[in-house]
Amino acid sequence: MKNYKKVFVVDDDKIYHFILKNLLNKNGISVTPCFCENGLDALEALKQKISTNSLPDVIMLDINMPVMDGWQFLEEFKKLKADFNLQTPIYLITSSNDSVDINRAKVYENEISDYFLKPINEADICKIFLN
Amino acid sequence: MKLDKFPDSYRYKEKNVFYDKLLSQIPDLIFQMTISENGSIKFPFLSKSVVSHFELTEEEIEQNTIDVLQKKILTEDFHAFLNSIENAKVNLNTWFFEFRCNLPEKGLRWYRVNATIERDGGLLVFYGRVSDTTENVQQELKLKISEQRYEFALEASSEGIWDLDVKTNQVFFSSQSMKMLGFEEKDSIMAIDKWDSRIHPEDIEKYKKDIQYHFENKTPFYKNLQRVQTNDGAYKWILSKGKVIERDTLGNPLRVIGMHSDISRQIEKENELKRTLEILNEQNKRLLNFAHIVSHNLRSHAGNFKMLLDIIEGDNEQDIKDESLIYLRTNSNDLSETIENLKELVDIHSDLKPIKEHLNLSQYLRKMINLLSEEFTRHKVDIRINIPEDLTVHFNPAYLESLLLNFSTNAVKYSHPERTPKIHYDFAIVNGEKVLSISDNGLGIDLEKHGEALFGMYKTFHRHPNSRGIGLFMSKNQVEAMGGRIEVVSKVNSGSCFKIYFNEEL
Repeated sequence: MKNYKKVFVVDDDKIYHFILKNLLNKNGISVTPCFCENGLDALEALKQKISTNSLPDVIMLDINMPVMDGWQFLEEFKKLKADFNLQTPIYLITSSNDSVDINRAKVYENEISDYFLKPINEADICKIFLN
Repeated sequence: MKLDKFPDSYRYKEKNVFYDKLLSQIPDLIFQMTISENGSIKFPFLSKSVVSHFELTEEEIEQNTIDVLQKKILTEDFHAFLNSIENAKVNLNTWFFEFRCNLPEKGLRWYRVNATIERDGGLLVFYGRVSDTTENVQQELKLKISEQRYEFALEASSEGIWDLDVKTNQVFFSSQSMKMLGFEEKDSIMAIDKWDSRIHPEDIEKYKKDIQYHFENKTPFYKNLQRVQTNDGAYKWILSKGKVIERDTLGNPLRVIGMHSDISRQIEKENELKRTLEILNEQNKRLLNFAHIVSHNLRSHAGNFKMLLDIIEGDNEQDIKDESLIYLRTNSNDLSETIENLKELVDIHSDLKPIKEHLNLSQYLRKMINLLSEEFTRHKVDIRINIPEDLTVHFNPAYLESLLLNFSTNAVKYSHPERTPKIHYDFAIVNGEKVLSISDNGLGIDLEKHGEALFGMYKTFHRHPNSRGIGLFMSKNQVEAMGGRIEVVSKVNSGSCFKIYFNEEL
């Protein structure tokens, strides 16, 4: 079992937040999710965590979000990763099964650990947190 | 008829032989003609070539020369032939005449006679030659026909001709070239600079380069598309083509001839086509984006339904189940909205064309302001309208209402928190198109960042609880369904200006 304690959930869908929380509870995964509704909020929160040296253990990122989408966030994350030697794994969790998005994700293979399609299920959760 | 027999004064046979040889080298017919006081015409000398010139038979050689000529020369020319002799007798200087003969073998031939006249006692003596000018006449005729064809072609094709003397920099412009630029329709010669100064500043560099390349023999001919200012200040698209037709020994150009074609209409049509293609591409892109978003949203909603139902049906506490029910309702509402948006878009693009009517823009604007009066008052919005009262636009009534409502609510929704919101409605005619500008002093949009996605579906650029990312998408679709287009200028923290170009065609 991976020792993930702090998880960043970057997604604008509040229903998904609720479902995810329940899935985690159901599977006995004791983590503290920090919910951000878009990439910009997540980026600002991440910068703050860097300054206080309390980085998240894992980031669950959506693609289609207002203000700053998942791709823009990844671009910014790439810079932070280089500057601060970040090792935080990112899981893309999206309802897009569009080949354009799937191919685009390959560009960020150094940042993205895996790509999951919504709705996220127990098996996916286990893959991220337990395997 | 005396052929090649010199008059008695030439006594010496040797001399005759000498002249005989010389004369045989001359293709012309050499003659001596005398006219006595009583008017009788005789030919004391005719060179041997008279036989071939006029295809004389043995019998004709023996006959009276004038009689033979009468038979050979066309009737309509023979009378003038005799008259010209009479005139020459009066002037006593030279005899010049052109006439035609119809010969059995050679057919119709042209001749020219030149002679000098001297008086010898009671006789007038003509010394002269007759030349066969048929070839020249035919050439001239061909040239004339060719010139006529050329002139006709120029007139019919409405293309202009120019002819540049590189040394003097003087250029000839045909009347058509002058007409293209709205000047008096006549051929003109002027300094090339006069034309060059009318070329659009953006086209000058390429024009100079193109002609220089041809001058340096790097291109087989010169070709350049240039915007040229007409007499009334407007620009026309002129295609100029040419070729150096004369160079000096060093290869430097001396003379260049070319033509001008006014292809403004063609360029206009091309631009129109390009714009239509761009709109189609844009629409296609947006529809793909739409399909993508819809599938994404439907998948999200369906997934959420499943997961929420799993929670309700699962072994969970009641308050969790209750919360799931609330989210079920939210999810259901969101799904309905997605389907509503989808329906709205399909309606815009359905084959049933929405009706276009001539609508009074001011009236529609007032109606919209009334509808939003409460919101405008609450936000103390400063509204300025600069639209002629009687102005109409050709548009669908429902779309116009929705359009004005959408842009106006956006201006309020995304107003700057530190400023009193201002919305200005201005009207102008730009290049013949009716344009409504709606500008505000709001938050503005970073077009460099979001420009491409600005009119995309479910794209939002500000943190506003009511941002749905559907308004601009629908507005653009409505305007384009009416054959128009929307342009936007925006600056973060300064405001935005949306320009709606109306298409007045039916």
